[in-house]
Amino acid sequence: MTADQAPRYFGARVSRRQDDRLLRGAGRYVADINPAGVLAAKFVRSHQAHASVTSIDIDAAGASEGVRTVFVGGDFADHEIRCVSSYAAFQESAQPILAVDRVRHVGEALAMVVAEDEYLAEDASELVVADLEPLPAAVDIDAALDVGCAPLHPGWRHNAFVRRQVKTYGFDDASSSAPHRVSIELHNGRHSGIPMENRACVAEHDPGTGQFRLHTTTQIPHLVRAGLSWALGVPESLIQVIAPDVGGGFGVKAQLYREEVACCLAARQLGRPVKWVEDRREHFVAAHHSREHRHKVTGYFDDEGTILALEADIAVDMGAYSVFPWTATMDGGMAMGILPGPYRIREYSVASTSVCTNKTPYGAYRGVARPAACFSIERLMDQIARHLGVDRVEIRNRNLLTGGDYPWRSPSGLVYDSGSLIESLEAVVDLADLEGLLKCQADARAAGRLVGVGLAVFTEQTAHTTQEFKQRGVPIVFGYETAKVRLDASGTAVVSASIHDHGQGLETTLAQIAADRLGLALEQVRVTYGDTEQVAYGAGTFASRSAVLAGGAVTKAADAVADTLREVAAHILEAAPEDMVVESGRVSVAGSPSRFIETSELCRLIYQRPERLPEGVEPHLEASRTYDAHPGTGAYTNAAHLASVEIDPLTGKTRVLSYAVVEDCGPMINPTIVEGQIFGGVAQGIGTALFEEFLYDEAGQPLSTTFADYLVPVMSDIPDFRVAHLQTPSPHTIGGLKGMGEGGAIAPGAVIASAVEDALSHLGAVIVDRLPLTPERVLGYIDAANSSGASA
Amino acid sequence: MAEISLTVNGERTAAQVDPRTLLSDFLRDGLNLTGTHVGCEHGYCGACTVLVDGASARSCLMLAIQADARSVETVESLSVNGAGLHPIQQAFKDCHGLQCGFCTPGLLMSVVELAATNPDCGRDEIREHLSGNVCRCTGYHHIVDAVERALNGVPGRADDS
Amino acid sequence: MKPPRFAYHAPRTLPELLETFNETADEAVVLAGGQSLLPMLNLRLAAPSHVIDLGRVPGLDSIASTNGSVEVGAMVTHYRMETDAVVAASVPLARRAAGYVGYRAIRNRGTVGGSVAHADPAAEWPIVLLALDGEVGLASVRGWRSIAAEDFFESVYTTAKRPDEIVTSLRLSTRCAHRWGFSEFQRRTGDFATVAVAVACAVEAGEICEARVAIAGVADRPMRCREAEAVLVGGSATAAADAAEAASDSVDPISDIHGSSAFRKRLVHAETLRAVRQAFSANEAGARDG
Ligand SMILES: Cc1cc2nc3c(=O)[nH]c(=O)nc-3n(C[C@H](O)[C@H](O)[C@H](O)COP(=O)(O)OP(=O)(O)OC[C@H]3O[C@@H](n4cnc5c(N)ncnc54)[C@H](O)[C@@H]3O)c2cc1C
Ligand code: FES
Ligand code: FES
Repeated sequence: MTADQAPRYFGARVSRRQDDRLLRGAGRYVADINPAGVLAAKFVRSHQAHASVTSIDIDAAGASEGVRTVFVGGDFADHEIRCVSSYAAFQESAQPILAVDRVRHVGEALAMVVAEDEYLAEDASELVVADLEPLPAAVDIDAALDVGCAPLHPGWRHNAFVRRQVKTYGFDDASSSAPHRVSIELHNGRHSGIPMENRACVAEHDPGTGQFRLHTTTQIPHLVRAGLSWALGVPESLIQVIAPDVGGGFGVKAQLYREEVACCLAARQLGRPVKWVEDRREHFVAAHHSREHRHKVTGYFDDEGTILALEADIAVDMGAYSVFPWTATMDGGMAMGILPGPYRIREYSVASTSVCTNKTPYGAYRGVARPAACFSIERLMDQIARHLGVDRVEIRNRNLLTGGDYPWRSPSGLVYDSGSLIESLEAVVDLADLEGLLKCQADARAAGRLVGVGLAVFTEQTAHTTQEFKQRGVPIVFGYETAKVRLDASGTAVVSASIHDHGQGLETTLAQIAADRLGLALEQVRVTYGDTEQVAYGAGTFASRSAVLAGGAVTKAADAVADTLREVAAHILEAAPEDMVVESGRVSVAGSPSRFIETSELCRLIYQRPERLPEGVEPHLEASRTYDAHPGTGAYTNAAHLASVEIDPLTGKTRVLSYAVVEDCGPMINPTIVEGQIFGGVAQGIGTALFEEFLYDEAGQPLSTTFADYLVPVMSDIPDFRVAHLQTPSPHTIGGLKGMGEGGAIAPGAVIASAVEDALSHLGAVIVDRLPLTPERVLGYIDAANSSGASA
Repeated sequence: MAEISLTVNGERTAAQVDPRTLLSDFLRDGLNLTGTHVGCEHGYCGACTVLVDGASARSCLMLAIQADARSVETVESLSVNGAGLHPIQQAFKDCHGLQCGFCTPGLLMSVVELAATNPDCGRDEIREHLSGNVCRCTGYHHIVDAVERALNGVPGRADDS
Repeated sequence: MKPPRFAYHAPRTLPELLETFNETADEAVVLAGGQSLLPMLNLRLAAPSHVIDLGRVPGLDSIASTNGSVEVGAMVTHYRMETDAVVAASVPLARRAAGYVGYRAIRNRGTVGGSVAHADPAAEWPIVLLALDGEVGLASVRGWRSIAAEDFFESVYTTAKRPDEIVTSLRLSTRCAHRWGFSEFQRRTGDFATVAVAVACAVEAGEICEARVAIAGVADRPMRCREAEAVLVGGSATAAADAAEAASDSVDPISDIHGSSAFRKRLVHAETLRAVRQAFSANEAGARDG
């Protein structure tokens, strides 16, 4: 295809390539994989939040029926997962594979039973007796930072992994001279992605070659390989990581986990494959948590509501260990960077503390810190609007970046490339019929009902690469992705990529791109991913990057292959290569469509009739390319969300009545898939807003360890959505693409809090400052509104 | 061990099982019917839903031995490789009613039952009826489109081009 | 999350069942729908040596309307209660309550006998039983007896049932079945109630002559609320609000992660108000959804 030809599949709502197999139950997930002789692993986990390990008695377990062996910490003591940030004064922690002398959270593994099947392994696991000497547990941010709290890791001075502070030069002047200020403190509940598939892995080791093969539920196969290489002390060439079909990730599966290391070590030691399938109770305490931020924010503004300066103090409860590959600084750092959001804020002072506590370690979850940052800045905008008596849409319009502001260097140093903020806000007001909603609200109020409308607008930094991650201090800088494109002798293509598809539809969207570039039908392109042997390197699927980066790499690789087609076709057709058109299954001469050769025929010739190739052309139709969206600061998607809610005044239960999204992620490869990503994200965000929370008691015991206690939204909790798109291309990326996988999940907390506050606004003034908005909390806000209204 | 004999997806099957074996594990490991997924093993997620004598059941909350002399249908009964999709499967495909596909088999079996017993559902009723099948990926909207389409043939949404 | 090992028995007759249960005594549990027992086994919260399946015993799943009451076999499923014509006509409160139990797949298998034997303080059936002046039929090798619902529920998962007895049936009185209300606070569709309230009233000459109010989710067992009942008898126009007030004042609820004691008191108020309003908005044929 050349630039002037219209793309055939790009932008089309084609249905997904993987659907048939998944619908027939023929997907192949890790739990479905059973190599010959496979053994089952079961981990024995700590019931104490913080304790010294005095002894572990494994005799009875070892003698239990079907048990091959029981491993304890000492068996794997030469291995650990360590992820060190390059930030100054970062305090390191090492995750032992199995606890050696200390446990630091409920759910930390103490022993690993390997038996003939899962039932027998679980039987034996109950016979392991661990003698634990309890230590005082630090179960929240303040308790952990208290000077009286003993440091949780050896050699530490206090319980912060790191503290960071940034201030613009003009902040002090701008804040001290501002006529108004508003301060709020905001709390986000601890929760996580909760994919429907729990984690699982199958480790195999070939004693002859020394090679490991690990099938695992991961979003980041190459990074898992890198981490395993460090943890096992084995070169990457001896490790193959395969992520087959994966049942949802959402960030939870974007870490190297101790269980993966343990299974590899056990497989090597026992000479048989070792399989571990996590159960849901383990998932709640051992798969990484996320989201628990506390922000104190102050906005300084003038009489018009223009923000003059922003101040923030961020604390994140990172749990017990720094995780690979993110370190324990990711959320705190990301929140510092993105908190000013979509607004023209120039002066900024921010401090961020990543706190170590006796909770499950903290990793990624869709949106990473942005939901909390959006919650803070949008709650602040609402308070400023209220302080000045200005409408919530208007206050935003006065502060949002406009076309002329781009590229915008934020006060935290991010470079926003492009966007359509005011337009998206305007569009969502129409799409949601704000006027109609407000009329309904007035009618509802007259009838004694509590109905509110909320909104939020945000930018989503996507496809950020080298430049961004260099600054984040992570040990591996996640830059490029890799794609390999091969045409075979029958003229069909295989595209292999370093990203992973666990629902995002990349198996389809990458095929759409490749089919267009190679002039093939979609059915002639097969996309594979999730196998470290297929492409050299890459980071994987997270941070709304895959369509942009893998899409770019596929474009480059496919174009390279198409160049070979052009060159050979030109030779055969006796024309110039630059006049060749690769389209509709043939290569033809521009302007004389009757002079062509079928692509399949051309491919056959190239492989099977090398004597007909022009001088210097190799019989090879394969290219591997990487793509890093230069300059690596990210392509900025933006969106505006608007929702209405109704609150039961007697019980505080909040229902989302309507939800509308206008999103601008640049040109869309497949709008249906984009919409599916938005809807899925918003539903998770509604979970953040209303339902989900890992609760702990004072001793650090988790209280949410089944689906009866940890509430994910079910079908009746989620409304129908309305969605519309704007398409502002990024100046930085191939095709102008922007990422969008996380966006849906970013705003709902802010939107619904805004709506709940609005629903109570006629009763009295309250600030909705804590998520999730459980019925009990909402009743508290209703009471507070009533009493403030009564006293006003 | 105990001998059971049952019908699975229309085929008579006999097997030796430990009485404690869950039906989900028996289907997956014993019969290699790995389309039935396991997401929680305490009844909440619905991924393991199958039909037992035509009625939906959590296969994680049934012993395989309880299925002795009964008829069990799993997602694999809906269509075979190579042949066309079942109309409910097709509706899910047309409406983008799945992403990672992990919840999908259980959900499809619940929809089969819904279509048989409450075919006249509107969108809100669909949401009520299927609230025992958790999907973490889709946000449900496209699933409701698909079910609406499957139940009454009214185009939920299929703007495939 | 796999069940521990046990011996499995599938008796084919009631006497055989009772005999087996008697022999295995303290180490056995019976398996009805399995919708509470299997989660407990999977989570290894229970480790019985013997599991005795009621699923093959005939005669435990009939629904019969007799003079003044409806007799429901222990193995009748929640879904059948939701769809059975006799239940809908004679004890519509029970039909309504059935729809709140879990999800369709749970209701297809879970049984009323299992629910009352299990005695979860947040479950629906125990309060339906209390509201409809129910009785629990029990059998063992020693014979048959029946206990009034009020004496049956003792504490969390604890009843007056002796270890070798099985629940054979529930008897629901139709005396109070004609004005009724049922209201429940669930966080999400299908969840166990945080608080649920069942109201049933007997009406004579247009006057409420007997009222029964039962509440789940506030104590270690289902509670009757006599304070609220007293308000309803001979009830005035403000009876709903007064009964709600009385109910809320009378309880001293438990606290857990689903709600503090104070929150539950508010829920008792809200759900009692709604249940009573339903009962009062009823015509002679019984209340419809409120
Ligand atoms: C996801 C989910 C959601 C649920 N939601 C609800 C809900 O909202 N409300 C609700 O009330 N319940 C709910 N349940 C529980 C469900 O209602 C169960 O069906 C019920 O509690 C037990 O009935 P069963 O027949 O399944 O009993 P089983 O699980 O078979 O047995 C439960 C206990 O009762 C004993 N038992 C059973 N039958 C008898 C008998 N006839 N005689 C003596 N002992 C007996 C058993 O030995 C066992 O100890 C839910 C369950 C799940 C998995
Ligand atoms: S696995 Fe059976 S309901 Fe979740
Ligand atoms: S499609 Fe992933 S859980 Fe439903």
